[in-house]
Amino acid sequence: MSTFLFALYILVWPAASAAVLALIVYAVLRDYRAAKREGRELV
Amino acid sequence: MHEPGLYQFSTVTVLALLAAFYGGTFLITLLIGKSREDADAYMVSNHGVGFGISAASMTATWIWAASFYAAATSGYTYGLSGPLHYGLWGALMILFIYPFGIRIRRLAPKAHTLAEVIHARHGTSSQLILAFSNVAGSVISLMVNFTAAGALVAVLSPLSFQAGVIIAGLGVLSYTIWSGFRASILTDMAQLVAMMAVAVIIIPTVLYAMGGPEALLANMDRLSDEQASLFSREAILHQGAPYFVAVLAYAIGNQTISQRLFAVRQDMIKPTFITATIGYGAIVIGLGMIGLMAALMGVEPLGGDANNLIPQVISTYLSPLMIALFFILVIGSLSSTADSDLTALSAIMMTDVYGKNLAKDTPCPRKMLFIGRLTMIVATAAGIVMASFALDILVMLVFVGGLWGAIVFPVIASMYWKRVDNRAFTCAVLAGLALFTVARFEWLDMSGATAVLFEAMAAIGGGVVLGLMSFGFFGRRLGLLAGVAAGLALADYGAGFLRDYPVLLASLVAYGASTVVCVALSLVSREEFDFRLIGQRVGSFDEAGEDDAACVGNAAPVKS
Repeated sequence: MSTFLFALYILVWPAASAAVLALIVYAVLRDYRAAKREGRELV
Repeated sequence: MHEPGLYQFSTVTVLALLAAFYGGTFLITLLIGKSREDADAYMVSNHGVGFGISAASMTATWIWAASFYAAATSGYTYGLSGPLHYGLWGALMILFIYPFGIRIRRLAPKAHTLAEVIHARHGTSSQLILAFSNVAGSVISLMVNFTAAGALVAVLSPLSFQAGVIIAGLGVLSYTIWSGFRASILTDMAQLVAMMAVAVIIIPTVLYAMGGPEALLANMDRLSDEQASLFSREAILHQGAPYFVAVLAYAIGNQTISQRLFAVRQDMIKPTFITATIGYGAIVIGLGMIGLMAALMGVEPLGGDANNLIPQVISTYLSPLMIALFFILVIGSLSSTADSDLTALSAIMMTDVYGKNLAKDTPCPRKMLFIGRLTMIVATAAGIVMASFALDILVMLVFVGGLWGAIVFPVIASMYWKRVDNRAFTCAVLAGLALFTVARFEWLDMSGATAVLFEAMAAIGGGVVLGLMSFGFFGRRLGLLAGVAAGLALADYGAGFLRDYPVLLASLVAYGASTVVCVALSLVSREEFDFRLIGQRVGSFDEAGEDDAACVGNAAPVKS
């Protein structure tokens, strides 16, 4: 296995975590703004 | 319990970390506006929780402390493919259940628990079987999570195991008890953000602290041929296959999943479950890589205990600040699962025990809330006691695993096939559980005709697992085709072989036997169930009891 592939195999998971984290944070902020605009609670 | 070689926080530092975590979490719950909760919100919020919070909560709930330790152990034991064989199947549990989740939610949009839906479909005995399996699962989960807190505190500080258990138990209870499910999902979001951020930092930091990919690759000769293969047969047979068999059972048997299913906005079920699948897989497989890296560096687990691997690697290669972040990561993961278990248990006691049985569908919402909070206190106390005394729960764990396997087909079939009745459901689960027990504890000599019979039943079970998964995504025809093909393949491959693997055999037999009995009794049944009745029978408790008439004993039933 090449060094690049091995590094990729290990680092792809934190990269995917970071992407999901960004998506979730964005979605929560959007939900928060929508809830505020409509005068209801987030949960 | 301090292991030499592990970093030690001072008592003050570890107490400060715990106070910051649980204090911060408690402060987050103060953002929840209403000071007076209602019963429905206490269990499922408003059935309209947005995608972000739902996906975060689903991911955080599914990740518990054991996820990291077991994934790392798998990486250490089975090498390259080990983390995949733990994290991938665990992630797919969330994915494979969502098609059924969409169907269940469509049938009962206002439900609180899956057992409540089964009550509306079949009646009390089926409901209580499911409720019992959910309660047993959540109590075990609570105990395991509190145990993990105790062990972490004990290895990384001078505090005792019991102190860690009690602090975690009281900490989780403190922020969950007042607002229930709403507090759970709101704090899950914050806990997940912390967990993911820490995981994103820790994994590459460990990689480069060990010398980087080149240094690790130079040690590949430390791995056996099996460990160095991405397609290791050992990893598949010992880790992947048993876990794969449990994929549907874990998700069906877990009220924490169905509670979120009933809380999320109906049109957001699919993106929520897919995001949680990716999020769970990424974090758990990523942290499992620490086990693989440890194997490559020749790390020997302290005291021979593989659960020490991650703390040991973190202690050896990272700074005290990173160790503190790791500490928060583990406490966050176990707390998010424990608070979900508390809210799951309270929902079951409120809905399935009190609402549907004791109050006979005329519940008082205020009493329900009281019961929910009391349940949390009792469950926390039970979890603390069980964890503190390190009770041996192996038999219970095995039994619950069998029960979960036996309920999968009857539950799913009940949502699609109008001929399944209460007798078919109950007999199927009991038969599946009985044969599971015989196979798992080897009560019969597994040879000759007995072994052939059990292997045939297991082949049917394998077909059921694959058939149901295909059915969920591709419909009845392809589901049936995949199920028959998988069953025949397993009958051929497993003959004379499965009898030597009692754990796998018993799990498959639970699926197979319950399916055979459920199908047979349904075929002779005259039931023609109208699925619209479920939605009519499952409704809001607060709307039914809003005039408080139920609280003085003269209310109308919740719905029809």
